[in-house]
Amino acid sequence: MIYAKRRKRMSTQEHNAPIDLESGKYVKIWQGPQHPGITGNMALELVLNGDEVVDCKTHVGYLHRGFEKLMERRTFIQNFPIVCRIAVPEPTFNEYLYAAAVEELAGIESPQRAQWLRTLNLELMRLASYLMWLGGIGASFGQATIYQWTVTHRDYVLDLFEEMTGARVYHMYIVPGGVRAGLPEGFEDRARAVLDGVERLLNEIEKVLFKNVVFKARAKGLGIISKEMVDPYGIVGPNARAAGFTRDLRRDEPYLVYDQLDFDVVTGTESDAYARAKVRHQEMREGIRMMRQILEQMPTDGPFQAKMPNVLHWEVPAGETYVKAECTRGEYGYYLVTDGSQYLRRVHVRGPSYTHAIAVMEKLAVGTNIADIAGLMVSLHTYPPEIER
Amino acid sequence: MEFFIGLWEALPDGLQTVIWILLKIIAIILPLMICVAYYTYAERKVIGYMQVRVGPNRVGPKGWLQPIADAVKLMFKEIIIPSNANKALFLIAPAITLGPALAAWAVFPFDEELVLADINAGLLYILALTSVGVYGVIIAGWASNSKYAFLGAMRSAAQIVAYEIAMGFALVGVLVAAGSLNLGDIVRAQSGNGGLFSWFWLPLLPLFGVYVISGVAETNRAPFDVAEGESEIVAGFHIDYSGMAFAAFFLAEYANMILIAALSAIMFMGGWLSPFQGWPILGPLFDWVPGFVWLVLKTGLFAFLFLWLRATFPRYRYDQIMRLGWKVFIPITIVWIAVVGLAVVYQLPWWFD
Repeated sequence: MIYAKRRKRMSTQEHNAPIDLESGKYVKIWQGPQHPGITGNMALELVLNGDEVVDCKTHVGYLHRGFEKLMERRTFIQNFPIVCRIAVPEPTFNEYLYAAAVEELAGIESPQRAQWLRTLNLELMRLASYLMWLGGIGASFGQATIYQWTVTHRDYVLDLFEEMTGARVYHMYIVPGGVRAGLPEGFEDRARAVLDGVERLLNEIEKVLFKNVVFKARAKGLGIISKEMVDPYGIVGPNARAAGFTRDLRRDEPYLVYDQLDFDVVTGTESDAYARAKVRHQEMREGIRMMRQILEQMPTDGPFQAKMPNVLHWEVPAGETYVKAECTRGEYGYYLVTDGSQYLRRVHVRGPSYTHAIAVMEKLAVGTNIADIAGLMVSLHTYPPEIER
Repeated sequence: MEFFIGLWEALPDGLQTVIWILLKIIAIILPLMICVAYYTYAERKVIGYMQVRVGPNRVGPKGWLQPIADAVKLMFKEIIIPSNANKALFLIAPAITLGPALAAWAVFPFDEELVLADINAGLLYILALTSVGVYGVIIAGWASNSKYAFLGAMRSAAQIVAYEIAMGFALVGVLVAAGSLNLGDIVRAQSGNGGLFSWFWLPLLPLFGVYVISGVAETNRAPFDVAEGESEIVAGFHIDYSGMAFAAFFLAEYANMILIAALSAIMFMGGWLSPFQGWPILGPLFDWVPGFVWLVLKTGLFAFLFLWLRATFPRYRYDQIMRLGWKVFIPITIVWIAVVGLAVVYQLPWWFD
């Protein structure tokens, strides 16, 4: 097709020319906090020269709920309903990291079966989150059909969560010392059926979205993250992998039972929006492969929870720790400080959205077309609730 | 009864003519409005099924009353005029958009003899009116005093100017082949013993493709709906409109879509002609079908195509649309007009005898 060859976009903006808003040459436009092209509540302050974005400032602060401070005033077990609300579409990673950090400080070892169940839970969450994201990238480029398809299948995954944990969105399933429950009877077969359905959906999306001329024309060459940018800007996860870095904590520093699973780390080379979408699309297949192995190899009996002290009077010894895991957007970390009391001394949550949505977005947005801002934003996969906590 | 006949005859001749024309206009506009209403319903249903859901099914049996409910809701909504908006222009813009979309139907031949105004420059009239519609969009975008609306209006203006040319050239090919600007004559020029292979879509295939795609762009429909790109500039030029003012834009868009679909049927698919005309067995078999039915079927085909495109395509970026219009479509049409011209002058293939 005619757009297969992409030329370097001509820029109407003189190099490094100061932006004088009074000159009448520029239009300042706010995209957000309420805008169909923004995920969650944050705002982009764009300065336009015609259709070209010449300056971009991100504004966050619409969703700050002060979770880190709240957690200092609650006992260790009371924090569970809070941590899962930090990143709304994927609460499980927060639950796991908080539980793992507390376990490390308290010196509790969770049983083997619990570790398998946790891995299954995390991978299901990854699948659900990616399904929503894949729909989002379609919708942000004006293809709403993909969104309907993926949200349908995400709902099937949520059904699995409901069976497994009793809740659809905020599960509170992973607790210090293990998990809250084992699997219901016949869960494995139903899970396999859902995974097969998702796999068929992925094949269809490959045809409808990734081979579509318009999507290729728009997403290829959009928002290229150069290799030099990756480390200074703190880019992690699929965004870094699309730039050619084979970084994946599941393989580099295996936690839970990831060292017993066979999976590939998916990378790309182009590092544009298309490559990022492709990497995530492929990672969903890897996730499905992993979950099939988990369902196959998981021990079906044995304890799923370690012996715990009375959680109402639980005093965790003084210490500090940083626990990290690979969430859908990259490295996700919890830094916990305890002082030997029933309460946490300090919590810090390190989420990848913070760097991706602010510094990286401000850098990549300059020089793109206003039409591509929504697609660029979604292609970085960020969640405003996780930026501000 | 006799009283009314007497009353009618007592009227002056001029007034009789005016009343007759008004009645004819109503006879076209009312069914058209119903078509538009149910086209929106069809869109929601078709796209719904393509997106693996059922679409509206709550209001009335199987959701059949949904468009009526929508219309009633919009009628009762307040028309909010933004502060600092230019009030007169803000209110006149929907009318400017809706007017031409309805007026274009005046020269449209529904069947051999069924046409309100059988004028000889029908094609020019339609081209002129579809161009006027864009003024409504520009005025709406400017009068709203909103940056998003203004961006949408600018995009729409540039896009429609670019595609108007491609569309116009495609129609030049049609009129060269048909030798007439009258829509009825254009259809009659396509009748022949080849049935659907006598129609213009085959000899004018590149122009046919350009015309249909330009038609999608002309009506601001996906994948060319940058003027109201939801995820980019929210709703574009009609972002600040509500109630019936918004409904007017909505009606105009769908009336235009049906018009483009019907014109594609007239120009390239033989209008009211049977696709089996002149064929040995099928031809006589379908002789009893009225021409109007064929026209509706062909229009429905294109109307469905519009919905299909919307469900399956992402939105083009604005500069890519312009590149497609200026650098691909216009050259294609110019080259093919030359080819058609030569074919007509030297009577090359069997179509232009």
